[in-house]
Amino acid sequence: MVNPIYILVIALFTAFLLPVFDKMGRKYSLGLFFISLAAIFDITLQLAWQSYNGVLKANIFTAGSIPPFSINLRIGGIETFLITTINFGALLAAIYLIPKFNEQKVYAMMLFLTLIAGVNGLILTRDIFNVFVWLEITSISLYALIGIRQNHKSLEAGFKYIIASGLASAFLLLGIIFVYRLTGNLNIDMIAASNTLLVTKGGLTALFLIVIAFLIELKPFPANGWALDVYQAAEPGVSAMVASIVAAGFLYVFYKLIPLLPIYWFDILILMGMLTFVFSNITALKQKNAQRLLGYSSIAQMGLLVAVLLIIKRFPLHNDLPYNLIYIAGALFLNHFLAKAGLFWLAGIIKKDKISDWSLKGNPTLVIIFAFFVFALVGLPPFPGFWAKWVLINRLAQYNLIGWIIPIVIGSLLEATYLLRWFGSAVKQEAAEPVKLPLHKIIPASIAALALIMIYPAFANSLVNTRIIFQIPLLALAMMAILNFLPFRLQGILMIAALTFFGWYIFPLAEGIVKIFEFIFIGGGIVISIVSLNTNIKRQGYYEFLLMLILSLAFIPLAKTTLEFFLVWEYMTISSWLLVLRGKNGEKPALIYILFSLAAALMILTGFALSFAETGSTSLQYLRFLRHYALPVYILLAAGFLVKAAAVGLHIWLPGAYAEAEDEISPVFSGMMSKIALWGFIMLMGIMGTRALGIFEISNLLGWIGVITAFAGALMAVFQEDIKYLLAYSSMSQLGYMILSVAMLSHLGWTTALYMSVTHLFFKGMLFIAVAGLVSRVGTTKMYEMGGLIKKMPVTFISVLIAIIAVSGVPPLSGFGGKWLLYTALLEKGWFLQAGLSFFAGAIAFLYLFRLIHTIFLGQLKAKYREVKEASLWYLIPQVIFIGAIMAVSTFPNLILKPIMAAVDTQFTSSINWEGYKVITTLGYWNGNAVMIITMGVFMVPLIWLLSRVRMVQKVEQFNIVYAAERPERPETTHFAYNFFSHYQKAMGFLVNGQVSNFWNSVSEWFHSISSMVRHIYTGNSQTYALHIIIYIVIVYTLLGVN
Amino acid sequence: MEHGLFISIIYAFISLSVATIWGLLLGGIALKVVARAHGRFGPPVWQPIIDIIKNNARRTSISHGIMYFLGPVFRIAGGMGTFLFIPFIFGSSVFGNFSFAGDLFLVMYFIFFGQLGMALGAGESGHPYSAIGVARGLSQMTAFELPFALSVISLVIQYGTLNITSIVAAQQGGLLSWTLFTNPLATIAALISLQGMNMHNPFSIVIAPQEIPIGPPTEYHSNFLGLLQTNRGLFNIAKLALFMNLYFGGATNIAVMILKTFLLYMLTIFIGASFPRFRTEQSIRFFLGVPTVIGILAVIVIAYL
Amino acid sequence: MTIITILGFLLVIIGLWGMLTRKNLIRMILGFSIMDTGIHLIIVSLGYIKGRTAPIFNSELSVAGAADKIVDPIPSALVLTAIVIGLAVTALMLVYAVQMHRQKGSLEISDYEELKW
Repeated sequence: MVNPIYILVIALFTAFLLPVFDKMGRKYSLGLFFISLAAIFDITLQLAWQSYNGVLKANIFTAGSIPPFSINLRIGGIETFLITTINFGALLAAIYLIPKFNEQKVYAMMLFLTLIAGVNGLILTRDIFNVFVWLEITSISLYALIGIRQNHKSLEAGFKYIIASGLASAFLLLGIIFVYRLTGNLNIDMIAASNTLLVTKGGLTALFLIVIAFLIELKPFPANGWALDVYQAAEPGVSAMVASIVAAGFLYVFYKLIPLLPIYWFDILILMGMLTFVFSNITALKQKNAQRLLGYSSIAQMGLLVAVLLIIKRFPLHNDLPYNLIYIAGALFLNHFLAKAGLFWLAGIIKKDKISDWSLKGNPTLVIIFAFFVFALVGLPPFPGFWAKWVLINRLAQYNLIGWIIPIVIGSLLEATYLLRWFGSAVKQEAAEPVKLPLHKIIPASIAALALIMIYPAFANSLVNTRIIFQIPLLALAMMAILNFLPFRLQGILMIAALTFFGWYIFPLAEGIVKIFEFIFIGGGIVISIVSLNTNIKRQGYYEFLLMLILSLAFIPLAKTTLEFFLVWEYMTISSWLLVLRGKNGEKPALIYILFSLAAALMILTGFALSFAETGSTSLQYLRFLRHYALPVYILLAAGFLVKAAAVGLHIWLPGAYAEAEDEISPVFSGMMSKIALWGFIMLMGIMGTRALGIFEISNLLGWIGVITAFAGALMAVFQEDIKYLLAYSSMSQLGYMILSVAMLSHLGWTTALYMSVTHLFFKGMLFIAVAGLVSRVGTTKMYEMGGLIKKMPVTFISVLIAIIAVSGVPPLSGFGGKWLLYTALLEKGWFLQAGLSFFAGAIAFLYLFRLIHTIFLGQLKAKYREVKEASLWYLIPQVIFIGAIMAVSTFPNLILKPIMAAVDTQFTSSINWEGYKVITTLGYWNGNAVMIITMGVFMVPLIWLLSRVRMVQKVEQFNIVYAAERPERPETTHFAYNFFSHYQKAMGFLVNGQVSNFWNSVSEWFHSISSMVRHIYTGNSQTYALHIIIYIVIVYTLLGVN
Repeated sequence: MEHGLFISIIYAFISLSVATIWGLLLGGIALKVVARAHGRFGPPVWQPIIDIIKNNARRTSISHGIMYFLGPVFRIAGGMGTFLFIPFIFGSSVFGNFSFAGDLFLVMYFIFFGQLGMALGAGESGHPYSAIGVARGLSQMTAFELPFALSVISLVIQYGTLNITSIVAAQQGGLLSWTLFTNPLATIAALISLQGMNMHNPFSIVIAPQEIPIGPPTEYHSNFLGLLQTNRGLFNIAKLALFMNLYFGGATNIAVMILKTFLLYMLTIFIGASFPRFRTEQSIRFFLGVPTVIGILAVIVIAYL
Repeated sequence: MTIITILGFLLVIIGLWGMLTRKNLIRMILGFSIMDTGIHLIIVSLGYIKGRTAPIFNSELSVAGAADKIVDPIPSALVLTAIVIGLAVTALMLVYAVQMHRQKGSLEISDYEELKW
C-alpha cells in the first residue's frame, strides 16, 4: 500500500523546493506545484481504491515505535473519504487560483501546499499535540494567504482572524498540556480508553479547553465575527478553501474529540451547533454582500454539521453508526463542500459584491451551475443534502430526539429564503455587461456542480425503498435539456408524445381513485400542453420544467412509501417554482411560492418521520397503525397539504404564482397542480380517517377551513382588476369546496370532490387557456382595458361563456352537478351551516364570473382593439376539446360519475341509487340528462319564435345606444368596468382587506428585524470579537456544568 | 308522473299559459295599488297583458349582436324552466310540470340561468346603465340568497327531503302543518329574501327608475321587450309558487293557488309602496344582517334543539 | 502548582488583558506575545519534577535508569515546538501591522472596522 505520510512529505517538501524551481521561471515552479498536487491526489485515489477493496491498513506508525512513544496516523474509511474530498477540492482550488499564482510571488504556491499539508495532517494524525502543530501550520498558511491580497479589507480581516485564532490556539495548548499532565498521554485513542480523565474537575476543564478551541475554529455563533470578515474580504478562491477544505479539517478534529466527551455535554454542544445554524441563517437575511452572505451560510452549515456529528453519537444503535455517518454527516458535508466552494468560485466569476447586482440572465451555464449549488444547499432533490436531511429527520424522530427537528426545519427554511431569493433575482436580472467566463474559473465551478449531481445516486440508491421509476421526472428534465437544440415546437410535440406514451403505460397500472388523478394529470397535461405549441421562439427551460412537473404530479399518487411520495413532491415543488420564476414578473411570487411550498414540504417530512418513528416503516399504508403520534402526524400532513391547497390564511402564495406564471403555464397550475393537495387529503384521510383534537374532529375543522377558503377566495376574486388574479382566486375558492367535500369522509362527499376536480380541470383549464389566447392578442391582463371583444374573438367568447356557466353551477352544464352533489352531501352529513356558507360563496362566484365575461367581451370595444383577431389555432384546439368534454359530461353525467363512484366504493359504502340517468340520494334527485333536454326545449321555443319575427335587421354602430339622446364620447368613458363592484366593496370589502398579507408581511418583517438586530453584534472591532470569544467560552463552560 | 312526450308538452303549455296570465294580472294589480297609494288612478289591471301583446307584435330592425339577441331568449327560457321544474299545483298532473328532473336545488340554481343570459345580452348592447344595473343586481342577489338558502336548509332538515312535492305533501292536513307555523323562523327569513327577489322598494335597485332609467333592459325594445315583460309575469308566479309550496302548504287547486300567491305578492306591494329605495351597499348589509341571523337561527333551532 | 505555573497564568491574563484593551496594533501583538510566553511557562512548569535534572543525556546522565532522574521530557519538547509556532505567528502579526500601516497609515485598531454586520 501507499503510505499516506507521503502526502504530507510531498506537500511540505515541494513547498520548500518551489523557490528553487522558481528561479528557473514561473512555468517550472507552477508545473512542479501541479505535479505535486496531482501526486497527492493520486495517492489519495490509491488509498481510496484500497479502502474500497478492504485492504487498507488503518494505523501508520512513525519514528519506529508505537504510541504513546510516537505519533501515529490513522487512515480508515472516513479519513480516506475526507482526504479524497479535500485533495480533489485542492486541485480544483489550485486551478481556480492559477492567475493569482502567476501574478504573486512564489510564496503563494508554497503557502497553498503547506495549507494542504496542514489539513491532511489534521485529518490523519491521532496525536493531540500533533493536531496542534498541524492546526498552526494550516492557520499560519491561511493568515498569509488571506493577507496576500494586500488590500486594506483583506488585511483587516486577516488580522482579526489571527487574533481570534491565536486565542483559540492558546486555549488549545493549555488544554493539551493539562490533558498530558493528567493522563500522561497524547494519543487520542489512548486518552479515550482511560477514563481517569473524565472524573476530575481539572480533567474536564482541560478537555473543555481543547474542545472549545476547535469549536471556536468552527466559528460558532456569536463568537464568529472575524470569520465573516475573512469570508467577505479574502480572495474568493481563498474563501472557498476556508469554507471547504479548512473547515473539513477542523470538523474532523472535532469529530475525533467526541469520544473523549462526557455524555452530558452533548446536548449543550448540540445546542451550540443548532444556535449557530439558526442564527447565522437569520442574520444572513439582511446581508447584501455576496461573499459575506456565503460566509453566513458556511457558518450555519458548520453549526449544523457539528450538531449532527454529536447527534449521531446520541443514536442508541451503534452498529448503525457507519450508515448514519455516511448518509447524514457525509452527505451533508459533501454537499456543503462542493456547493459552498463552488459558490465562492462563482462569486469570483461574477465579481459583483452586492447580491442585487448579480445578473445571470442569458448565461445558461452560469445559471445551471448556480442552480445546482443553491439547490444543493437548500436540500432539494436529487442533491446529497436532500437525502441527508431525509435520513436525519427520520432518525431524530426514531430515536426520540424530536426537539432537534425544530431548529433544523427553521434554519433550513431561513437558509432557503435568502439563497432562493438571491437565485431568483440573479436569474431574472438582465446583465448590464456580459460576464467573462475565464476557463480556469469555470472549470472548477463546473466540475464541482457536476460532482454534486454525479454523486447523488451513491446516496439515493442505498435507500432501498425508492423505486427507480421515481427518478423519471428528473430523467425527463435531463432528456428535454439534451433535446434543447431542436426547434421549440418540435420539442413540444416530443413532450406531448412522451406524455401520451407515459399515460398509455401508466394508466392501466393505476386503480380506483388513483386512476382518476392520473386522468387529470396526464390527460389534462396532454391537452393543456397543446397551447404551448403556439410559438416557435425558444424559451429556456420551458418544456424541461413543464414535463418534469406533469410527470411529478403523475407519480405522486403512485407513491407507496413516504420517501417516494416526498421525493416526487419535491420534484413537483422545484419544477413548478421554476416555471413561476420564468414568468415576466415572476421573481417575487416565485419566492413566496417556494417558501410556502418548502415549509409545507418540511411539515410533511416531519410528519412522515414521526410515522417512521412509531411504525418503523416508511410504507404510507402504515400510517393507519399510528397510535401515539397519530395526532401530530395527522396535523403535520394536513397542514402541509393545506398550504399546497392554499387554504385561507396560507393562500398568499397562490394568486401571484398562478397569475405571474406564463400564460400557458397557469392552466397547468390551476387545472392540474392544485389537485395534488386534494390527492394529499384523499391519501391521508383514506388511510387515517379522522382524528380528534380535544373535542373537535379534525375533519370538521378541515371542513370549515375548506368552506371559509371557498368563501374568501370567491370574495377576493370579485375585487380583482387583473383577469389572471381573478381566476387564481377563483381556483382557490374551488379548491376550498374540494377540501370541504373530502373532509366529509362520506361516499357522497368524496364523489363530489372527485367530480369537482375533474370538471374543474375542464372549465378552469379552458378559462386559463382562453385568457392565454386573449392576452396573446390584446397584450394586457387588465380587464378594464378590454371590452367588446365578443365580435373579434367569438370562439374564445363561447368557451369563456360555457366555462363560466359551468363554474357558476347554473344548470344545465356540469357545474350544477358539482353544486348539487356538494349540497346534498353536506346536508346528508349534517353540515348545515357549512352548506349555507358554501351557497353564499357560490352566489358570490356569479359576481366575478359575470365581471370576467362582461368587462372583456361585452360593453364597448376600445379603438385600439378594432383590428384584434381571434386567438391562434393552438389556443383554440384545447379549448374546443374541453368544451366537448364539458358538453359530454353535462348531457351524460354518468360518463364520469359512474367511474368516480366505483372508485369511491372502495372507501365508503354508497348512499346513491341510479334510475337511468337519475341520481337519487336519501335527500333528493337529479336527472342531468332530462334537465339538459328540457332546457334545450324551453330555449328553442322562444328562440324560434324570435327568429321567425326577424326581418331586415341591421347591425347598428357601436355607439348607437339610448344615451340621453347624445352620443357618448369615447368607449373608455362608456365601458363600465373598473371597480365594477364598488358597492360590494363598501359592504363586504372589509373582510378581505389584506389582513392575511399584512400578517405574513409582518412575519417577514419580524424576521428581518431580528436579523438586523442580531447582526449588530458584529461591530467590526477585533477586540470586541476577541471579547465575544472569551465570553462565549465562559458561557459554554458554565452551561456544560464542568464545575 | 311521466307521460308521453306530447302530453307532457301540452300540459306544460297549459300550465305556462295560466301562470303567465295570472302573473301579468298580478303585475297590473300591483300597478293599481301603487298608483292608489300615490293618489293616482292608475292603469287598468289588464294593462300588462295589453303591453305584451303590443310589444310582442312589433318587430325590431336593429341588432347589437348575437348575445344581445339571445339575451331575452335566455331570460324567458330561464323563467319557463324555473317554472317547469316547480310542481305548480299539488297532485295535479296538468300542473305537475317537469319536477321529476330535479329537486329544490335545481330550481334554486335554474333561477340564475335566465338572469345570467339576460345580463350577458344587456351587456352586449354596450349601454353603461345595463352594466350598472347588472352589477347592482348580482350584488344584491348574493345577499338575499343567503337567508333564503339558510331557510331552505332548515326546511330540508325539517322534512328530510329536497323533493318539493314531498315538502308540500308533508304540509297537508290543516293550517298548522304549514311550514309557516312549524318552522316560523325559516319562513320569516325566506319572506324577507322574497322581498329582495321581487325587487320592489326598498330593494328596487336594479331597475331603479329615475336612477338608471330602467337598468339592464335599457336597450331592449319591441318584441325583445315583449319577451322580457312576458317573462316578468311568468317568473313572478314561479317564485311565488315556490314560496307557496315551501312555506304555505302549497295549493291543491287553482283557486287556492291564486289566493295564496295574491296574498304573498300583496305583502311585497305594500312594503314597496311604503318605503323608499335602499342604496346598493345598504341593501347588501341589510340582508346579511338580521335576516341572515334569523336564517342561521332557523337552521340551529331545527337541527340541534 | 508551583510558583512558575501561577506566574505563567498571571502572564496569560496580562497578555489577554493587553490584547483586549490596548488599542494599538503593536501593543495588541505584544499582549499576544506575553500570553504565549505565559503558556510556555505553564507547559514547562507542568513537566518539572522536583529535584530532577534536565532530560539531556551527557556525561552526568547515562541512558540506563535515566527515567528516575530526569524531569518529564515531553513538555520540554512540546514547548520548543510551541515557541517556534508562537514566533511564527508573532512575526506574521507584525507583518500584518506593517502592511496595515502602509495601507491606511494608522495603527489604531478602531480604524479597522470597515467590515462588519
